[in-house]
Amino acid sequence: MTSDSSPWYKQAIFYELHVKAYNDSNADGIGDFRGLLTKLDYLHDLGIDCIWLLPMYPSPLRDDGYDISDYYNIHTSYGTLNDFREFLDAAHARGIRVITELVLNHTSDQHPWFQEARSSRDNPRRHWYVWSDSDDRYRNARIIFLDTERSNWAWDPISKTYYWHRFFSHQPDLNFDNPDVREEMWNVMKFWLDMGVDGFRVDAVPYLIEREGTSCENLPETHEVLKFLRSRLDEHFKDKVLLAEANQRPTDVRAYFGNGDEFHMAFHFPLMPRVFMAVELEDRKPLVEIMEQTPPIPETCQWATFLRNHDELTLEMISQDERDYMYDMYAKDPTARINLGIRRRLSPLMANDRRRVELLNGLLLSFPGCPIIYYGDEIGMGDNIFLGDRNGVRTPMQWSGGWNTGFSTADPEQLFLPVISNPLYGFQAINVESQRRSEHSLLSWVKKILRLWKSTAVFSSGTIEFVNPANHRILAYLRQKDEETVLVVNNLSRTAQAVELDLRRFKGAIPIEMFGGNPFPRVGDLPYLLTLGPYHFFWFLLRRF
Amino acid sequence: MTETLLNGVTQALNAALEMALHTVPKILGMVIIVAVGWVIAMIVKIILRHALNLVKFNVLCDNVGASQMLTKADLPPPTELLARLVFWVTWATFLMLGISTLGLVVLQEQISRFFLYVPQIFVALLILLIGILLANFVSRAVLLGMVNANVPSARLLSNAVRMFIVILTVAMALEHIALAKSVVLIAFSIAFGAVMLGLAIAFGLGGRDVARRFLERQFTEDTKGEKDEISHL
Amino acid sequence: MAEESVLSDELVHQLIAVGEVDILVGVPTYNNGKTAGQVVRAVQVGFLKYFPRERAVLINPDGGSTDGTPDAVRNATIRDYRTLMTSQPLRTLHRISIPYHGIPGRENALRTIFAAADLLRAKACAVVSADLQSVTPEWIEGLIRPIYKEQFDLVTPLYHRHKFDGLLINNVVSPMVRSVYGSHVKEPLGGEFGLSGRLARSFLEANLKGGQNVRSGVDLRLTTSAIRDGYRLCQAFLGPRIHAPAYSEPDLTALLQQVVGTLFECLEADQSYWLSRTGSNAVPVFGFEYEMSLEPVRVNRERMLQVFRTGVREFASILEPILSPDTLAEVQRLGSLDDVDIRFPDELWVKTVYEFASSYHHSAIHRDHLLKALIPLYLGRTSSFVAENLEIDSREFEQRLDALCLEYERLKPYLMERWTLTR
Repeated sequence: MTSDSSPWYKQAIFYELHVKAYNDSNADGIGDFRGLLTKLDYLHDLGIDCIWLLPMYPSPLRDDGYDISDYYNIHTSYGTLNDFREFLDAAHARGIRVITELVLNHTSDQHPWFQEARSSRDNPRRHWYVWSDSDDRYRNARIIFLDTERSNWAWDPISKTYYWHRFFSHQPDLNFDNPDVREEMWNVMKFWLDMGVDGFRVDAVPYLIEREGTSCENLPETHEVLKFLRSRLDEHFKDKVLLAEANQRPTDVRAYFGNGDEFHMAFHFPLMPRVFMAVELEDRKPLVEIMEQTPPIPETCQWATFLRNHDELTLEMISQDERDYMYDMYAKDPTARINLGIRRRLSPLMANDRRRVELLNGLLLSFPGCPIIYYGDEIGMGDNIFLGDRNGVRTPMQWSGGWNTGFSTADPEQLFLPVISNPLYGFQAINVESQRRSEHSLLSWVKKILRLWKSTAVFSSGTIEFVNPANHRILAYLRQKDEETVLVVNNLSRTAQAVELDLRRFKGAIPIEMFGGNPFPRVGDLPYLLTLGPYHFFWFLLRRF
Repeated sequence: MTETLLNGVTQALNAALEMALHTVPKILGMVIIVAVGWVIAMIVKIILRHALNLVKFNVLCDNVGASQMLTKADLPPPTELLARLVFWVTWATFLMLGISTLGLVVLQEQISRFFLYVPQIFVALLILLIGILLANFVSRAVLLGMVNANVPSARLLSNAVRMFIVILTVAMALEHIALAKSVVLIAFSIAFGAVMLGLAIAFGLGGRDVARRFLERQFTEDTKGEKDEISHL
Repeated sequence: MAEESVLSDELVHQLIAVGEVDILVGVPTYNNGKTAGQVVRAVQVGFLKYFPRERAVLINPDGGSTDGTPDAVRNATIRDYRTLMTSQPLRTLHRISIPYHGIPGRENALRTIFAAADLLRAKACAVVSADLQSVTPEWIEGLIRPIYKEQFDLVTPLYHRHKFDGLLINNVVSPMVRSVYGSHVKEPLGGEFGLSGRLARSFLEANLKGGQNVRSGVDLRLTTSAIRDGYRLCQAFLGPRIHAPAYSEPDLTALLQQVVGTLFECLEADQSYWLSRTGSNAVPVFGFEYEMSLEPVRVNRERMLQVFRTGVREFASILEPILSPDTLAEVQRLGSLDDVDIRFPDELWVKTVYEFASSYHHSAIHRDHLLKALIPLYLGRTSSFVAENLEIDSREFEQRLDALCLEYERLKPYLMERWTLTR
């Protein structure tokens, strides 16, 4: 386990879930905090250290809660502030931390602030948002929701002028050049931190500030704002974490760690699509390259790695050819594509191949950083690409094969989104109850590997060094921390492979296969020969006696 | 007196008759052997001819140029030649055998010496044959090579090579049958050495210029004209 | 098995690491240090541009180079993808440079390449020479695409050549292949070709014999046996074929013996195939054919004629068993002329070649000598050929070549007659 000197977020397993999709306690078809509280034992049993809650604030729900209309309350569908407090305490009692969403960049157009700001040009809150009389400022900023938006400017009929929005047109951007805005955002943070929340996942951070003639992303002024918020945080609290959502190239993401004075954690976005690419290509090249391009980060910082999340599998930061390849391999049906990404869950992307799913989880957990499990992927839930936007991956958690999959006792027609019910991925086939009963289910396997991950600090914060054997279908690397060395060998192909590894440095060591605990032949002078079945991987602890 | 004369003559005649009677069977024997030998030799010749035809001996000889050589020398084709040769040798053997039955000791010695000598003749002939064939083959190869390399005195060189090999072969054959061994050997050595010495002196000293021009003509012929740039492939 | 394998242990080792591939390109080398690097880069860019998603490998069997060729091959890298207007490679690009087993020579190099293609189950395979300056990435597309996408089995090259480049091919080899085998292959001996995995496998099994380092022998056998066995053929236009400046063509005598000897041997081996066939079929062509003016080549016709005359004169007795009396008389008549501009007509030449071919078959004289005896006649013919075609343009030249081929086809019955003649 982590030592006292090392912050908790350096070695923690995160679990991303949406309260509305987890468990419904009042039979209104929408999950809530009371319901979520009852599932804390499940999460504790799974081995989760920290829950990341998707937005649960009051909102018109036109962007699934990312359009916030009140930062200081809970949406009525999910319960009351008290319900939330109780849930928080119960989580802490089980040693589980909770982080929530901090949507800095924009609010809903239904937020009272915007209602005031747009009412007249002289309103005191006018400059809380970004206004313009013409819509051709900041031309170099790209449009993010390509499938729905034509421009980053929207016309406001009330104040007869344009306002800036990087996302949906009903989500006007806040103006971070305004110090009042910054102070207010700090107040928002303080409110929740005081309540006991352990940190925030900060949404859409690259887009806070706009400047003419730039892409309006990753500007130095944006970093200033973030450093300001971080410094306030450090003044008032300890052991809290800020996790950045910055879908950028590795060097640009690095900037968000600052010198340890900005974010504590950031998602490793560039890694994620390449994992999928490498497995389909059966070639380690994309992964080795991206890890070699990943810059080192400050000692107190940590990467957050993930396979899937509530958004589409984003292909923004890869080349056109790579994108075409990904589309052709993983999203032949154009319905599965949205906004330069693919809106599918992990298991359908892996064509329900258990070995592949295990391999990908193995990769997730053996790369540097803390893993984030997306709710439902631990049992291999399916998706529904015919639901609009990204809703296909946000369906109710499948607890059992019974009424509404055990999620809610409401009428099925009342559910916030229909349950996945096809024979392959549907709740009758895939659910927690049935997987709980078997030692050999995916759920049980995930529990095992999470335990294994936690048993050593090597995976979360060790160094990574690639061993590049001649066989390009094998991805092999060494994870080292202090005296411990783990050799990870992955077979990315669907056929059995033989590989010879140059382990001369470790001559004399005995590899202990970590899942079974069995010793393997000692490392000698000759190249170490291993054979792996399709999609198989090894974790070897290299021990000397 | 007449009685003694008659007795003497009768005795002499008797003796002669007796000797003749002794000899006649031997002569008969000889004639029979010779006749039988002729028949056998004939049979062998026919069998051999057929056998050679079967293995296409002719074709082989055509290949090495032996047939052409023989036709030029007004000799019969190789199969026929070989068959006839074998015929004569076989018959000659029987002839010798026949004569030996006459029981003449001195003759017998000569005959056995002759018999011992025959194989040597055979070998010598073989050497000669091989040598001539080789000479033809090599000289033809030389001719082809020199003409294709545009060397002006190709024919001269080719003939020179042929002559050289033929003379060498003849010398070897003669030595083998031990005919004037030393004479042949010495004569050959002298001739050969003289030619070589002459050439050496000619090229080395006296005929320096000629030799130079000769060599120039041989080896720089191609640059007089321009080097081809074409590619055949 | 006691006999030595075509694939050395080290090569097998490296091939295992590569695994199954879709495309394999072989670049045999022997002391090609100056041009090998560029050729390798052209091949790599060819992969990236035209087959970006395919699994590909480049194999370089080296015959024991002493000028650092293997290092040049290994170190050739592509630096700037943007300039090449291609994206970064999706996959690992494999490259193997290794000495091959057996006597250095084209035959063993090709066997190594084919064996590797068989082991890795390559769908398409191509061979490119390392001593050329004119290899471009488009050559890879030209040689591979017809096999990979259109299921052809053999792609023979088409080069943009000077009229007098490839005289032996134009006057003997190509027309013979066309009339005897019935297939219009312009370059049956091209140094570059593409072939399918299954064709490579069948070659390997047939265990073809070739010859020395001159590239002629094996390549011709590949083409003729592919035609004979009914594989699908096509031709791909590649462009000019320009050797490195240090290149010098092997001596004509050795060349002609190799090429024509192999041709005649093929005729003999395949006689049951061609003796009953008539007519010929066109072979589809792919690629953008373009013309460019090439530097004129110098031809020393004096010398050729000299050899011709001398040869005709001195070889009378040698030619007599080879040629028919009429042909011999005509040839001798030409040889006795003093003109600089003798004309060696198509019909006479075709008959000469056919008579040589059948005499070869009957072993009229020793076969080596027979081939050597052809040389003066060949030179006479080429001298006449050059003189006749000096001024004409390329379109007309193509027509002339076509006319020559038709003459070969027209006289095929003559060949068949002489071939089956028994003494």
